[in-house]
Amino acid sequence: MVGLESLTLQLWQLWQSGYLTELFIKVIIFPGLVHISLVVLLAVWFERKVNARIHLRVGPYHVGPVMGFFQPIADFVKLIGKELIVPEKAHKLLYKTAPISALALSTLSFAFIPFGVIGSEMSLPFIPFHLSPGEYWVVYYSNISLLIVILLFSVRPFIIIAAGWACRSKYCTVGALRTAFQLLAYEVPLLVAIVGVVMVAGSFDLVAIIESQSSIWHGVFQPLGLAVFFVAMMAEVSRRPFDLPHAEQELVYGWATEYPGVLYGCFMMAEYVDLYLGAVLMTALFLGGWLGPAFLPPIAWFLLKAGIIVCIVTLLRGVFPRVRIDQLLDAGWTYLIPLALIQVLIILGLAHVAPGLLGLA
Amino acid sequence: MPVMRVKFGPQHPISGHLCLALDVDGDVVVNIEPDIGYTHRGLEKIAENRNYVQAVPPLERANIVDSVHMVLGYVEAVEELMGVEVPERAKFIRVIMAEMSRIASHLYWLCLMAVAVGLETMLMWPINDRELLLDLFEMYTGARITHSFFIPGGVRRDLPQGFKEQTFRALSYLEQRLGDYDRMLYQSYTFKIRTQGVGKLKPQEAIKLGLVGPSIRGSGVKVDVRKDEPYAAYDQLEFTVPTGKVGDSYDRSVVRLREMEQSISLIRQALERLPSGPIKAPAPSSAPKGETYSRVESARGELGYYLVGDGTTRPYRLKISSPSFRNLPAMGYLSKNVPFADIPVILWSLDLWPLDMDR
Repeated sequence: MVGLESLTLQLWQLWQSGYLTELFIKVIIFPGLVHISLVVLLAVWFERKVNARIHLRVGPYHVGPVMGFFQPIADFVKLIGKELIVPEKAHKLLYKTAPISALALSTLSFAFIPFGVIGSEMSLPFIPFHLSPGEYWVVYYSNISLLIVILLFSVRPFIIIAAGWACRSKYCTVGALRTAFQLLAYEVPLLVAIVGVVMVAGSFDLVAIIESQSSIWHGVFQPLGLAVFFVAMMAEVSRRPFDLPHAEQELVYGWATEYPGVLYGCFMMAEYVDLYLGAVLMTALFLGGWLGPAFLPPIAWFLLKAGIIVCIVTLLRGVFPRVRIDQLLDAGWTYLIPLALIQVLIILGLAHVAPGLLGLA
Repeated sequence: MPVMRVKFGPQHPISGHLCLALDVDGDVVVNIEPDIGYTHRGLEKIAENRNYVQAVPPLERANIVDSVHMVLGYVEAVEELMGVEVPERAKFIRVIMAEMSRIASHLYWLCLMAVAVGLETMLMWPINDRELLLDLFEMYTGARITHSFFIPGGVRRDLPQGFKEQTFRALSYLEQRLGDYDRMLYQSYTFKIRTQGVGKLKPQEAIKLGLVGPSIRGSGVKVDVRKDEPYAAYDQLEFTVPTGKVGDSYDRSVVRLREMEQSISLIRQALERLPSGPIKAPAPSSAPKGETYSRVESARGELGYYLVGDGTTRPYRLKISSPSFRNLPAMGYLSKNVPFADIPVILWSLDLWPLDMDR
């Protein structure tokens, strides 16, 4: 009884301190689930609409108030309504959990990314909630947040391999193998491209990395690193021209061929979340995060930059054919990694010759 | 990893109704076995059970995207058997329709080739522009795809008013669009690395495998029935036969693009030089005893008709030698130890159309 009373007391104190409300707002609304879902819906709609215009089609038109804006929601509801058919020979547990874990893993990374700095005092009526200026819009602050995000980013291939293997279908197996090749190969240039940023910022803390760009964005002195990061990120999130895992022409839908209804919906959403995560990372590392002229609030700058990157990536789908797996791997090992290393050398040289230029002095 | 046998079709996003059994080792296809016949409809036998004019509608179903040539080959064979001389005007109208059908078929092929390398934009553009040609067909024949418009002795009706002007408008638009395709797909670096050096065939190999049409011309062998054994009005019109140099998938694709340009110029010439006069000659309802083989250059290559008449109103035997079936051996020959991703590219660079393969 004493234990229960003290627990209740502790919970009450926690509630009074505003921590629970803060956590709820941050996890559920911003930068949590609502924000991510909205961005995914926007990205799906934008991709379909703009690609339709490139194709000389109209695209989504009827659902929603303007230009078929609610079409992705309608599609997702339709996916939820579908019957779940589990292949007879599939590994049942893995088959059902892999999509959910893929989505959970992709969204988890957003807990460690700071989306902006709080400018003015924030509080709510009746509910204890308080955010003071100088705090960050981040669910869990850690001084190695970049490392954690990269770690979570690199676990994805294994879930995809598991998902492809669990179906026991030939298309899925070949697709999963391909995905393994591609994602594991492009981890390396992605990480090497980040090295330059971490060297200049001197920290794995995303807040410190963004604030070290207050004089000049890292992308300015590291254009090679930026380009390598962009290409490697496109390959990591399997966007055209690197969408080999889903090569419809050969493998029907790659490792996700056998997944029906909402399980497929989870994979699809996870892909868009990954795309957004890549754009957010690129913004934070190279494009100054929330930094920008004061006429827009910091969060708006962050979302604007990330949104532009998502738009560019979705636009590229209408222009490029898909490359072959061996060409993809060749390009990764022979161009991207040397380019990223050259960038690191340039940064080393600049740090010796003109540290003030990089904001190191 | 052991070698897996993967069925590529007949239910697959890219292969149509063609089924290929692939032996896949990892991501490499070591062997391939075509398994055709999923769309076999017995069209030859159906044609033998009908009289000579009634056989036209089922036969054009053999190759729906190039239906004009399916009928043209048959009609030429029947006329040869019956000894009917076709009026000049009908010959020119046949050339116009045949070349329009060739462009429509090549546009259809272009969108499938673009899908094979994974570019949906080039799926939508040619399909959209093909509508122009289908509209022209509709204006003339009343049907968009299955016209059944050629009959032994000529064509059914004369050209409608305004057809010439509308055709010229459509052709000048198409000419400009061909430049767009060139810039969008053919000049694209990704398309080049996906198709150059893939499915390479030397001229000797291509001849040995018995390829026909744009597929053999891509290897640099100048074979074209329109030049070698002119039918309809082709001996009165100027055109060149485009050929490739290397013989890879890219060259075969380029040959088809150049052929569309030649077809546009052929239609223009034929419309300008269109003679006046009757559009059909009287043809008997029954053919004499005898046999004949006639060939036309369809969009996919040489299309042959072997026809035996026995003095009745029905053909005694009709055999179609279809271009896709003759190009099929190259698919097996080229698909040994190639990456999985090259299979669709090779398949569509040969333009294997399962419908006229199976008939």
